[in-house]
Amino acid sequence: MCPIAFWGAVRQGIPRPFLPATAAALVLTVFNLVGTSPAMAHCFAGSRFFPAMLTTDDPCVADELSLPTISGFKAGDIPANRELDISAEFSKRITEDFGVSIGRTYTRLWVPGGPNASGWQNLETTFKYQFLTWPQSEFVLSAGVSVEWGRTGNASVGAEKFHTITPMLWVGKGMGDLPSSFGALRAFAVTGQVGYAIPSWRRTFTITSINFDTGEVDFDEERHPHFLQYGGSIQFSMPYLKANVIDLGLPDVFNRMVPLVEASFRTPVANTIQMANTWDENNRTIGTVNPGIIYVADKFQIGAEAIIPINRASGKGIGWVAQLHFFLDDIFPATVGRPIIPISARLGP
Amino acid sequence: MKIIRKNLLAGAFLLTSLAAADAHAQLESANPRVGSIVSAAPSVLTLNFSEGVEPAFSTVQVTDAAGRRADAGKPRVNGRVVLVPLRPLAPGQYTVRWRVLSVDTHTTEGSFGFEVRP
Repeated sequence: MCPIAFWGAVRQGIPRPFLPATAAALVLTVFNLVGTSPAMAHCFAGSRFFPAMLTTDDPCVADELSLPTISGFKAGDIPANRELDISAEFSKRITEDFGVSIGRTYTRLWVPGGPNASGWQNLETTFKYQFLTWPQSEFVLSAGVSVEWGRTGNASVGAEKFHTITPMLWVGKGMGDLPSSFGALRAFAVTGQVGYAIPSWRRTFTITSINFDTGEVDFDEERHPHFLQYGGSIQFSMPYLKANVIDLGLPDVFNRMVPLVEASFRTPVANTIQMANTWDENNRTIGTVNPGIIYVADKFQIGAEAIIPINRASGKGIGWVAQLHFFLDDIFPATVGRPIIPISARLGP
Repeated sequence: MKIIRKNLLAGAFLLTSLAAADAHAQLESANPRVGSIVSAAPSVLTLNFSEGVEPAFSTVQVTDAAGRRADAGKPRVNGRVVLVPLRPLAPGQYTVRWRVLSVDTHTTEGSFGFEVRP
């Protein structure tokens, strides 16, 4: 699985990383001391390795930690708020194929002409079951549900009071099973994810004024739409090219790089209000396209991407995101990097 | 700032732990080189991995274009290096399929081709 970079316009319903760092260090230390059993892999399907990505999630269940993911961008508001997010995500396998992630984000907002704000976004958890793996086809399919827990963040930075539940599917496919005549194209891989975000509240009423003489009450109604969330990546794996297609004799630093383009979108599909000529994010598809690169070391990876909004409602200008990500199954293979219950119920050969 | 400081502390802990364990065994290089064309038929295939591998749970197969085995006997493992004796290779395309268990029990696999063209 993977840590996620978050940008304000597509905040709702997408897993957002954080675990308090000192607690993480303590947990890792304890596990490091007590365990002795073997561990399995992170996101492999046959000879294909899918790196953890910054904007979307990889299709696998794994033991990993993103700490930190930092992003900076201007949100879709008018005028645009400037936002800095610092987030983390801890992912743990319960069994070989089933895992849970806990993530959270700390946000700093600079509001033009207004008071600045900072605070936590809501806590998010994701439960994922990697139910199908075909090594020969470099194919992985997972299903799960992501939950954003309302009232666990600060309203001043946009954290909602309601929960959002998002059933999701994740898929990954490497092109290594193409005929050898396809050459370097076999180093490409694609990933995808789709989810349907369901808020626990359909609407929120806010009293704007009360006339004590007449007893009339004015209020605003804000609907909370259901969203279809979708995205994915196309990536070119230099490690795969070197080990499985052709060794060009490049320096090792190049052979560890995975250039990629990620994209993430959100479209309201239910409980919406049609409002023409507005930038209201609730009424249009928003998203970003994020070109970048990931450097994959043996036990960690570093990634950076540009954040390019697809329209004004998605953001203003080009933002950025960077991430340090640890493979816990490699760092602590006998302890925190192994499933709690080492059983597998995965389909496929 | 306190949050950033805590994150940095946890990151430092992880970084100091990186040297303590082995990672997945990745193919770092091969001789003949991955995807190469060689003029002289090699008598041994050499695979260099990023980690030590367990001989008892590691396999390497070399086949020609017709699917016939071209390896001759069990691979010899010396730490991170796996040596595979080969039968006399006729000109043509060959496929290497490997699957290894690293010393920390991670399994990895891969395949590549090379060509003998005198």
